[in-house]
Amino acid sequence: MADKKLQIAIYWGAACGGCDVSILDTNEFILDVDALCDVRLWPLAADGKYKDVEAMADGELDVTIMHGAVRNSENEHMAKLLRQKSKIFVAYGSCAYMGGIPGLANLVPREEIFARAYLDNPSIEPGNRTVPLSETTVNGHDLEIPKFYDRVYKLDQVVDVDYYVPGCPPQPDQCKAAILALVGALTGTAEAPPKGAVVGAFDRALCDDCQRTKTEKKIKRFYRPWQIMQDPDTCLMEQGILCAGSATRSGCGVRCPNSGIPCRGCYGPAPNVLDQGAKLLSAVSSIIDSKDPQEIDQILEGLPDFTSFANRYGVPASLLQRSHRQ
Amino acid sequence: MTFEPKIVGFLCNWCSYTGADLAGTSRIHYAANVRIIRVMCSARIDPTFVLKALHDGADGVLICGCHPGDCHYSEGNYKMMRRYPLLKALLADYGIEKDRVRLEWVSASEGQRFADIVNDMTERVRALGPSSIKTALATDMAER
Amino acid sequence: MEDLKIGVYVCNCGTNIAKVVDCDATIESASRLPGVAIARPYKYMCSNPGQEMIVADIREHGLNRVVVAACSPRMHEPTFRKALQQAGVNPYFLEMANIREQCSWVHEDGAVATEKAKALVKAAVLRVARHEPLERRSVDMCPDLLVIGGGIAGMTAALDLADAGSKIYLVERADHLGGNLARVDLTAPYLDSARDMLTDRMTRVVEHPNISLLLNSEVERLEGFVGNFQATIATKARNGNAADQVATVDVGSVVVCTGYKEFDASRITHYGYGKLPNVITSFEFEKMLREGGVETKEGKAPQYVAIIHCVGSRNLEFHAYCSRVCCMTALKYAHEVKSAVPGAYVSDIYIDMHAFGKGHEDFYRRSSEVKTLFLMYAKDDYPVIRRADAKDDCEMLIEVNESLSGETIEIPADMVILMVGMEARDDWADVAHLVNISGDKDGWFIESHPKLDPVATTTDGIYIAGACQAPKDIPDSVAQARAAAARILGRIAKGKLEIDAVFAEVDEDKCSGCRMCNELCPYTAIEFDAEKKRSHIISALCKACGACVAACPSGAIAARHFTDAQIFAQIEGVLA
Repeated sequence: MADKKLQIAIYWGAACGGCDVSILDTNEFILDVDALCDVRLWPLAADGKYKDVEAMADGELDVTIMHGAVRNSENEHMAKLLRQKSKIFVAYGSCAYMGGIPGLANLVPREEIFARAYLDNPSIEPGNRTVPLSETTVNGHDLEIPKFYDRVYKLDQVVDVDYYVPGCPPQPDQCKAAILALVGALTGTAEAPPKGAVVGAFDRALCDDCQRTKTEKKIKRFYRPWQIMQDPDTCLMEQGILCAGSATRSGCGVRCPNSGIPCRGCYGPAPNVLDQGAKLLSAVSSIIDSKDPQEIDQILEGLPDFTSFANRYGVPASLLQRSHRQ
Repeated sequence: MTFEPKIVGFLCNWCSYTGADLAGTSRIHYAANVRIIRVMCSARIDPTFVLKALHDGADGVLICGCHPGDCHYSEGNYKMMRRYPLLKALLADYGIEKDRVRLEWVSASEGQRFADIVNDMTERVRALGPSSIKTALATDMAER
Repeated sequence: MEDLKIGVYVCNCGTNIAKVVDCDATIESASRLPGVAIARPYKYMCSNPGQEMIVADIREHGLNRVVVAACSPRMHEPTFRKALQQAGVNPYFLEMANIREQCSWVHEDGAVATEKAKALVKAAVLRVARHEPLERRSVDMCPDLLVIGGGIAGMTAALDLADAGSKIYLVERADHLGGNLARVDLTAPYLDSARDMLTDRMTRVVEHPNISLLLNSEVERLEGFVGNFQATIATKARNGNAADQVATVDVGSVVVCTGYKEFDASRITHYGYGKLPNVITSFEFEKMLREGGVETKEGKAPQYVAIIHCVGSRNLEFHAYCSRVCCMTALKYAHEVKSAVPGAYVSDIYIDMHAFGKGHEDFYRRSSEVKTLFLMYAKDDYPVIRRADAKDDCEMLIEVNESLSGETIEIPADMVILMVGMEARDDWADVAHLVNISGDKDGWFIESHPKLDPVATTTDGIYIAGACQAPKDIPDSVAQARAAAARILGRIAKGKLEIDAVFAEVDEDKCSGCRMCNELCPYTAIEFDAEKKRSHIISALCKACGACVAACPSGAIAARHFTDAQIFAQIEGVLA
């Protein structure tokens, strides 16, 4: 191993923190990470200040692992700053890769989000009309908080990204494999993946790893998972339970379907697929067992809010990216 | 100057494209706003095509296939028939006006019908005005 | 990849295009597109000099892609592909922009039409840049044949091909040959014996060294594709305890000749079939004739015989179609009754007399001359049959609202013959599924083209002949059987089958084995390899509709010549 430790930063944008936990979930491997790397910034595990990052030279960091989407000006600022300071910039997890769960908010205008969060929410104090502003004056002091953008961006819509690690969150094994691949590339012991590569995932869809029995598919009725006694050995889709597995990259270890929960698509589309939701839409509707428009409509009633399911982790990565309601 | 919408048409080879050709051989004049892309069957039309067209600046997308029961491939158009309502729901969720995307069945003998559909759709899309999708996405990236 | 050198040719089509579209402006715009090496107009691109221009440019300038902006590709795509091929360039490196049928002929405003033409040319240029060279392939054509059904059609097809040297597997469900024709006495209009017609053919089938006759047998499974089918045939054991014999044979083509069944007369309650003993069906009457005696259930010679047409046919409640053979068969009965019971009175109760075939009208005239009483009834205004009273000298009385006279007429009858129509066999859908063809709303098998290709089906290598396609008389059944044989012989003569270069392909490195596509193919071209857990497309069966390509959730299926990349390029082009 090289004498000099690798300089790394782990940072977050609009995120739940699960990605940080997934790095910790590599268990004792985290000690190897510590042995190999100087962790220069990781808000979850260590103190760190903006000014410390600002003080770094360009390219001083070997790797930044950034998870979370870009929802506000702080996310963007830090993404850009860390990009500048890093040799390799990794979008880690579904939010950074595709926009993730925060990206679902792109189907709703900002005003509605604010109204829902601060005005029409049953849990707020009655009569309280406080809505956060990015700039305000208190006791003669100008205060600033990050600006809430009109929409959510995936990371590469804001900065140049070298590698992507999908997953909500990435599975610990995949996290480990991805970190080792980067370490190998940086220390010259392994060939670097091509720029733009998705690492820590496979090229085929989830069904490749799913052990459930698959046969030809024809669907007369869709069920929510709780509406049906599930056969644990049969393909969920064949049982009428909407499952995104066929349109989703494998790599997660089939955790959801193995637990009786349909795949929600967090590992993103298969390689070369432009729009994961559109592909799932095409596949799922094609196998509906009806030639009658009315019956088709009736069968489709079994798929409420299909859009949010099909693009659950990737509205900002979809072709239309956000609502275009006028 | 009146707004001239750009509409992308995906037509199946055997019925609708031939119907559009028939409109030509019959010299039926209609609006020049639809640009036709030929596919072998409406079943080949991936919803991705529709989204891609909208993303790339189309003001509308017209999908035409053989009438139900008349598909050259016996059942291809039913696949499109099944995708369409779900696609419409998805487009509505993305705030796209419903008149911007339309599915019609046009047979090889329905040149007039094809021309009528193009004229009607052009007027409806014209009434909606230009699609803001392409410029909005560019603006999103330029200024936050 | 070598550098793109695209040649763009804009056809004036005389003035057909040029009078509306500004061809020079279109050329000018095309010449600025990436990869375009040459852009030229010509008066008639499809003419020999036009094609030669392309060939010469390819040779001189090393063009490797060609766009022709002219008429519909449905018109001249093959022409220009040939030109490319002649110049040594893969014919699939051509793309056409339809600026005539879909531009100059439908738009009046030249400026608008020119803008559209430019966009269509741009789409074609961007698309052709993404074209891939494609090669047609050929596979061997097995000359052997499976014939399903041993009636007149099946035997005819089998004999024609057996005589030509093919090995025939003739599968018949019953324990004898002949089908429905074996149940018939004489045939209209020449009153030839059906038995004589059949005996000769049945003997030849049984004795033919090239025909394997499998009676008491059914086809259980058919796999493969044109030229290369594997049929699994089960033969019932003679002895009830023994197991059925199952054999798998290789054949190149299949002729389906499963015939028809007669309409069940008891479904029409007002004719009293099944209740009135002397109301019988045409097939029961044929049996009587073949056994040599026309008599009532009571053993008497009938003095009054009534024949009712269109039983179950031409009637929205049962079958809307005409069964085509009953009118002439009814006329035949008039002759046969008169010769069996001289002096008997025959009344023929019909809706319209359909006498369209060769010799039929003469036969109709001759029948009128043997003193048959013709009574016309209106559709849905059925004759009513009731038992006669003891005082009457007949068994039954039939009340007919006679259309020509406008009067209600009551006629006597000792025997009523119901001309039952033809209907599809009860298991037609199973047979259709077995060989992967379709049936229409009445269950008749659907031909490839109702006029121009009445013996082929939508599945390559599967042919239909005889009444399983639609009600038909003997000459039509035989003609269709011989036509099917001729079609098959034509393919056998070639020895090889050309497979279109355009089909869908599964990339096994991307396929996850989700099986979403498996049910979508109307040609059952998609098979699942359970061992590899991958779907696979049999290219010879694929007709390139692209249904599976669009539906594949992981983008693992590509449509040759209609790839996503090519269509995306077109979208970008038309919107530029």
